[in-house]
Amino acid sequence: MADTNKTNTYDAIVVGSGISGGWAAKELTENGLKTLMLERGRNVEHGDYPTEHQPPWDAEFRGRGKRKLFREKYHRQRKSGVLNEYNYHFFVNDKKHPYVTDEDDFVLWVRGYQTGGRSLTWGRQCYRWSDLDFEANKRDGFGVDWPIRYEDIKSWYSYVEEFAGISGQEEGIPHLPDGVFLPPMEMNVVEQHAKKQIEQAFPRRHMTIGRTAVLTQPHKGRGACHYCGPCSRGCSVGAYFSTQSSTLPAARATGNLTLRANSVVHSVIYDEKTGKASGVRVIDRETKETTEFFADVIFLCASAIGSTQILLNSKNKRFPNGLANSSGVLGHYLMDHHFRVGAVGDMPGFEDKYTFGDRPNGIYVPRFRNLDARTNHPDFLRGYGYQGAAYRPGWKRGLRMDGFGADFKEKLLDPGPWKMYLGAFGEVLPRYENKVELDEEQTDEWGMPLVKTQGDIGENEQAMRKDMAEAAAEMLETAGAKNVRTYDAGYDLGQCIHEMGTARMGRDPESSVLNGYNQAHDVPNLFVTDGACMTSSACQNPSITYMALTARAVDYAVEELKKGNI
Amino acid sequence: MNRREALKRMAVLAGGTLSATTITAVMNGCRAGEADRALRTLSAHQNKLIIVLTELIMPETDTPGAKTANVNQFVDKMLTDWNYEEEREQFLSELNAIDPLSRKKFGSLFLDLDRGQQKEILQQKEKEARQSKDKGAYKPFFDMLKEYTVVGYFTSEVGAGEVMGWTAVPGKYEGNLDQPPGKR
Repeated sequence: MADTNKTNTYDAIVVGSGISGGWAAKELTENGLKTLMLERGRNVEHGDYPTEHQPPWDAEFRGRGKRKLFREKYHRQRKSGVLNEYNYHFFVNDKKHPYVTDEDDFVLWVRGYQTGGRSLTWGRQCYRWSDLDFEANKRDGFGVDWPIRYEDIKSWYSYVEEFAGISGQEEGIPHLPDGVFLPPMEMNVVEQHAKKQIEQAFPRRHMTIGRTAVLTQPHKGRGACHYCGPCSRGCSVGAYFSTQSSTLPAARATGNLTLRANSVVHSVIYDEKTGKASGVRVIDRETKETTEFFADVIFLCASAIGSTQILLNSKNKRFPNGLANSSGVLGHYLMDHHFRVGAVGDMPGFEDKYTFGDRPNGIYVPRFRNLDARTNHPDFLRGYGYQGAAYRPGWKRGLRMDGFGADFKEKLLDPGPWKMYLGAFGEVLPRYENKVELDEEQTDEWGMPLVKTQGDIGENEQAMRKDMAEAAAEMLETAGAKNVRTYDAGYDLGQCIHEMGTARMGRDPESSVLNGYNQAHDVPNLFVTDGACMTSSACQNPSITYMALTARAVDYAVEELKKGNI
Repeated sequence: MNRREALKRMAVLAGGTLSATTITAVMNGCRAGEADRALRTLSAHQNKLIIVLTELIMPETDTPGAKTANVNQFVDKMLTDWNYEEEREQFLSELNAIDPLSRKKFGSLFLDLDRGQQKEILQQKEKEARQSKDKGAYKPFFDMLKEYTVVGYFTSEVGAGEVMGWTAVPGKYEGNLDQPPGKR
C-alpha cells in the first residue's frame, strides 16, 4: 500500500484538461509542482484533427451531418447547434453519457470528453468583466456578493491574455475593459458602415470587432490564423487557443506534468483527521479499475456541472451532502447565457462589394442597458451584448429559392445580397431552483450516479428577450437595413454552453462554497476554478475569466503551500 | 493547387498547349473514383432519370453541370444512407411515376422527351410540391430532389473546387473587395 501511495503521489492533482484544467496544470507545473492532470476521456494530441481542412466532397454526407447517428446517439449534444459532421468526434455520445433532466425545465449539457475538453470546440470570444459585473449582485440583491472586484483580477486578465493571444480593438469602454490585444481582425465593409451609423445615432453604444482567442500574427511558436473558417475541427498550427495548442505544451515543457487520460474521477478523498482532501478516486474508462491518487492540493476543473457532480459524490461523515457543502448551496444557482434572440435584415447598397476568406469571428456590441441611471431599462435588471456579422449568403440560399435551371444556377454562383444580423447574449440571474443533483437510482457504466438537473430562465430574462429583439431591429434599421425581422428561436438553460455557478464564490461560508481565491471554505487544499465558481453570470463569454481566476488561484495556492497553510 | 491550376502549369511545363483530349483525360482521371462507384439504391433506369432531372436543375452552362459533378452518385448515397426507409420509398415511387406522367402528357417515356418537355414535367413536380397541403414527415419529391442536387453540386469536387474555387487555406481575410474573389 505504501508503495502504491508513493507512485501515485504528486504535489498537485488537476481534474479536467479543458480551458481551466490546462491553465491550472500550466501554472502549477511552472511553479515547480509535480502535477497529475486527469482527463476522463480519450487522449487527443495536438494535430489529431482528422477533419481539419477536409474538403466537403470527402465528408460522407458532404457536411449535411450523419442524420441517423446524430438523432440516435447525439440527440442532446446536437441541440447546441455546434455539433456537425466535421466535429462530432469531439462531443460525447448521449447514449453512453446520459443525464437526467426535466422535460419542462430542460437543461442542455454539452460535453467533450477528451484531452482539451471543450477548448477544442469553444467559441473563442474573450471579454473582460468589470465592476459593473462584479458588483451586480450586491447592487440589486440577486445572489450573494462577489468576494472580488475588477482590481483583484485585472492583472491576471493581462497575464492570461498575453499568453493566450487575444486579438481585438481597444475601445476605452469602462464596463468592457480593454485587454492585452494582438492586432484586431478586419470588419468588412458593411460592418464598418453599420458601426458608423449606429455609433452616430446612439452615442452610448459601440460596435467593435469580436475579441477572440485567435491569433492575427504568429505568437509564442503558434501560427497566425489562415482564415479557413471552421475552428472546431481543430487547428494544427495552433492559431486558436486550446489546451493542445497552448497550455499543455507549456506544462509539458516543465517536465513536471503527468497527463493521464481515460481517468474518470469518481470522488475526492477527504481525510477527516487533517480536514483536507488527500487525493482522488479514479475509475479507468476502459478497464473500470479503481485507482487512488494523492496530492497536497487539488484543483477541480472538470466543468461547472462535472466538478459539482464529483463534489456531490464525495460524501462522508463530515460532509453528508457532498464535499465542501456545509452551506448547502452546492449544485444550486446554475446559470448560463440566454440567447437565440435578435434580428436580421438586408443591407442594400453594397452589391459590388465582396469578401475573401472565412473569418472565424464577428462583431460585438457591448452592453448598453442598465449601466447607470441614464441607461436604466424599466422592465429588467442587468443586460446583454450582441454578437453579429454582415455577410453575403452562399449557395445554400438556393434551397429556399423557387425555380431551377440555368438562371437559377447562375444566381447561385454569385454570393447573395448582403445581410446583417445581431444575436443577443444575456445575463441569467442566479436562482436557487436552477440546480444540479445526483440521481439516486441510476448510475453510468462507471458507477457514477447520473447528473440530474433542471432549470429555466425567469421573468427578468423573458422581459430582457423582448428588448434584445427590439433593440437589435432598431439598430439594424439605423444601420440602413431593410426588411428587418426579429427572431426568438427559444432557449434552454445550458444551450449556450456557458454553464456556471453551482459551487459559487462568496464572502460568507454559509451561503457559498468557495472564497475569493476559489478555495473551498470547508477544505483548504481544494480549489474549483471552472465555471462552477461563478457568483453571477454577467453577459460576456466567460472563458477568459475562468483562465484569469485559475491562474490567480494557483498563485495563491502555491503561496499558501509554501507558508504551510494548506 | 486546383486542377485548373495544375493543368495550366502542366501546359507551361510542356512548353505548349495541351490537346483537348489530354485535358479531358486529366479531368476525368481526377473524377474516375466517384464516377465508377456502384449504385446502391437506384436501378440503372432510375439512375438515368436522376441524371437528366438533376441536370435540368443544375445544367451545364459555361461551367459544368450536375452530370459532370456526379450528382447522381450523391443522390444515390443520400437515398441509401441518409433517408429513412419510408422516405426513400416515397421518393422512389414518385420517381417511378415520372414515366407514366410523361406518357400521359406527351405520349413518350421521360428519357425520350425533348428538353422542353422534360422541363415541363419537372415544373409540374415543382408546382405539386408548392401546392402540397400535406405537411407530411418527409419533403415532397421535388424539394428533396432539388436539395440533393444543389447540395450535391456545390459540395462536389467539380462544383465546390473547380467552379466555386474552394480552397482549404485562404491565408487571409479581406472584407472590402470590388471583385468577386477568384470566380471563374
